[in-house]
Amino acid sequence: MKNRKNDKNLTEAQIIALAKKDVYYFGLLYDKYFNTIFSFVFKRLGGAEDVAGDVTQLSFMKAMANIQKYEDRGNPFSSWLYKIANNQVYEYFRKKKRLHEVPVDEQRIQDLGKEANINSYMSMAEQEKLIEMINELEQVQQDLIELRFFEKMSFKEIAAIYNITEANAKMRTYRILERIRNKWEN
Amino acid sequence: MRKFTLNRDKKSLNPTDEQIKRQKDFSRIHHDYERLTKRGKKPLYLDPKLFMLLLILGIMLLLAFLDL
Repeated sequence: MKNRKNDKNLTEAQIIALAKKDVYYFGLLYDKYFNTIFSFVFKRLGGAEDVAGDVTQLSFMKAMANIQKYEDRGNPFSSWLYKIANNQVYEYFRKKKRLHEVPVDEQRIQDLGKEANINSYMSMAEQEKLIEMINELEQVQQDLIELRFFEKMSFKEIAAIYNITEANAKMRTYRILERIRNKWEN
Repeated sequence: MRKFTLNRDKKSLNPTDEQIKRQKDFSRIHHDYERLTKRGKKPLYLDPKLFMLLLILGIMLLLAFLDL
C-alpha cells in the first residue's frame, strides 16, 4: 500500500520519474490533469460527453504506455498530454465519417474578427460568414485557429503540441489571419 | 469531420462537474492497460517445455494402459 500522505510532498518532476517505474504514480498525474484534458477534448468534440470520455481515456492510456519516452524539454507536462489528446481527436475525426458540429461562443468569434482586423464588432451575419470561412480552411489551419482562439491556448502551448518554435506558431497563425482578412475584403 | 457553428443558444461549452465525475475513472484505464500489455503472453500449450512434459506424461499413461 502506498503512502498517500507523502505524495503531496512530491514535485511534478519526481512524480513523472516515479510514474516511469510504477503505474500508481501515473494515477497522480491522471488525477491532476484529467479535468483539463477532458475539457479540451469535450469542447473540440462539440460537447459529445461519452465520445469525449473515451477519447480522453484513450489519450491517458497512450500517455501511460509512452511515459518512458517522455523528456522534459522545458514545456509543461500538460503540453505533452495536450499533444496526445490532440492526435487522438484528429484520429477520431479521421475514422468517423459523421459530421461533428462544434459550437463556438460569439465572444471567441468577435476576438478572432478583431485579431484579423476585420471588424471591432461583428453582426450576427458577419459572424456566420467568418465561421463559414474558417470551415473552408484546410484542417491544419482550422486546428491552429481553434487552439489559439477557441481554446485560448498560448503560442508556447501550441508550439509544444506541433513541435515547432513559438515564433513559428505565431507566424503560421498570423498568416492564416491574413488570408482570412484578404478573403473577407475580396 | 467537423463543422464549426455559432453557439446561438449560448449554452455552456464546458463540461459540468457531474460529466467530469462520470468520465473520470483511473481504474478503467489501468485495467485496460494491464490487459493490453499482458496480451502478448504465450499460451501454456505453446510453451516447448510444457509441451514436452505433457507429451512424456501422455506416453507414460499410454504405456501404463497398454501394460494393463
